[in-house]
Amino acid sequence: MEILTGNELTSGGTVYLDRSGAWVEDLQAARVFAKEEGAERDAALAATKGTGRVISLEIEEITLDQGLIVPKRLRERIRAAGPTAPLTLNGAIYDRQHLGEDGHVSI
Amino acid sequence: MYRYDEFDAAFVAGRTAQFADQVNRRLSGELSEDQFRPLRLMNGLYLQLHAYMLRIAVPYGTLSSRQMRKLAHIARVYDRGYGHFTTRQNIQFNWPRLKDIPAILEELASVEMHAIQTSGNCIRNTTTDQFAGAAADEIIDPRPVAEIIRQWSSLHPEFTYLPRKFKIAMTGSPNDRAAIRFHDIGLQAAVNGAGETGWEVWVGGGLGRTPMIGKLINSFVPNEHLLAYLESIMRVYNRYGRRDNKYKARIKILVHEEGLETIKGQVEAEFAEVRGGVLTLPQQELDRITAYFAPPAFADRSGSKVDVAYESIIDPAYGRWLDNNINAHREAGYASVTISLKPIGGAPGDATDVQMDVVADLAERYSFDELRVTHEQNLVLPHVAVADLRAVYDVLVAAKLADGNAGLITDMICCPGLDFCALANARSIPIAQEITHRFAAPERQKEIGDLKIKISGCINACGHHHVGHIGILGVEKKGGELYQITLGGDATELASVGKIIGPGFEAEAVPGAIETLVDTYIARRQSADETFIQAYRRLGEAPFKEALYGAA
Repeated sequence: MEILTGNELTSGGTVYLDRSGAWVEDLQAARVFAKEEGAERDAALAATKGTGRVISLEIEEITLDQGLIVPKRLRERIRAAGPTAPLTLNGAIYDRQHLGEDGHVSI
Repeated sequence: MYRYDEFDAAFVAGRTAQFADQVNRRLSGELSEDQFRPLRLMNGLYLQLHAYMLRIAVPYGTLSSRQMRKLAHIARVYDRGYGHFTTRQNIQFNWPRLKDIPAILEELASVEMHAIQTSGNCIRNTTTDQFAGAAADEIIDPRPVAEIIRQWSSLHPEFTYLPRKFKIAMTGSPNDRAAIRFHDIGLQAAVNGAGETGWEVWVGGGLGRTPMIGKLINSFVPNEHLLAYLESIMRVYNRYGRRDNKYKARIKILVHEEGLETIKGQVEAEFAEVRGGVLTLPQQELDRITAYFAPPAFADRSGSKVDVAYESIIDPAYGRWLDNNINAHREAGYASVTISLKPIGGAPGDATDVQMDVVADLAERYSFDELRVTHEQNLVLPHVAVADLRAVYDVLVAAKLADGNAGLITDMICCPGLDFCALANARSIPIAQEITHRFAAPERQKEIGDLKIKISGCINACGHHHVGHIGILGVEKKGGELYQITLGGDATELASVGKIIGPGFEAEAVPGAIETLVDTYIARRQSADETFIQAYRRLGEAPFKEALYGAA
């Protein structure tokens, strides 16, 4: 099983293609492409490239664990959750990047 | 400090306006990502795992208070309230938004800074000894020549599309604090038989997947011909450096494959052509640039002394700071202060906006408005009166910047690793943090003494693991992280590349493995004066290997 991920153009934040064709922050909202859905996956990739608003597009392998999407690669799990290191020096939790008001992309 | 002339100001303003336009055209959709990517990389703007990353050049690691305050302002307004100082003496911001980049670059230009040539296959920021112009052991201050190299290499039309990136480091002291033998070109101040000052030129050093120690290509190049000689090396590299394989494209591979004598012959042939031409550096121009780096107006403080032994009894933390974070100054009654960015549990090299402001204030008040960034990811106040050390320390304590651990086991170089970097295979910051917790006790750090641990999250070696006395390299194995340990690396004039000691360790086992190595060293050292690296050189790897993995 696969999902599509990338970085939103203005914020650089990690985004996932959801079931409605929107690119969203929430990994669990990602559309899961089954093996036989390669054509749909490639069409979605092409349509996204056409928008020019999501960059560094990747196809990522995932597993489902009790219904939850779990990327196979550690790199992708860190992309989804944000940096894993303990608190920053100014006491904030390392949070991932969030989309701004101009960061919403649909295909 | 150097101040921009009209040419510097014009090219930075021109590039800032040009890139702002490119950003706006990208946001409007006029430029595609394929078109925009090389443009943003030329301006130091990367895309990392979670966000863009902007790398800002700090020429030869020198900053004024005004510039540091501007970096604090950028951290506060456009980023997340902190910045990350790097092994190239630069600073990186991890969370800027694309639309803010033009404003950030304008802010930078207002204090004579930019992000040009902090990425791409060009000549990058020239790095130097962080104690340049201050160190007691210095032959000459390398900064005037570093500035001249900056001017020569900035937007150099012939060297904008080299086979690969190109890094120059220089030191004016025989004690190499700039890792010059691990750069594409390393320059070390030298004095010839006639008593003239010039440069030893080392070529083909580097880290990454193929670590190489630089080779001496010329034992003395006088100042007036240095640019011509550098240009000759660059031309040979630009002509013959491999462009077919990214992993074999650095000059170290060219020197290694062709042999030093072949490269030397080619460089000398080129040098014979260009020597005495437009690149000849007139003494008058060298003097003009040198005047920017004239020593500050030191007061007569020759009577000032600090009794470290006494202070250590009265206030042990202050005593440790004096012991480790103070470097001898060429001017009596002054010292250089290393401000550690390696607190226990912190991310090495990070500083908050508030801390940057505090450091800027200290520099203004106590260090003639000067600051340095070290390649070991710390900051330096180069010219502090000994009589002011306590006042400086007290301010640093309040700002949580007073760790007296410079050069000790918790003063690690560490790359951003898989928590941030798109190239990394494994995390490095959490490993560094765990090691600092393991060795947090000051008494333990003192017992261990000088020991450099360097951590990289991938083979590209941004964390300089090859030249750590103990190096740690994170690799990916079966979808997880594994950490290889190397021993015996050294970035100084006694340059050596560390050797992998054995099979790698899971992350949670790394601090224990480091402790085993440290315990072995302490048990086997001849005295407390024999450092880890000295003991390793004497003993070889066998006792360390046996301690880690058992007898063969």
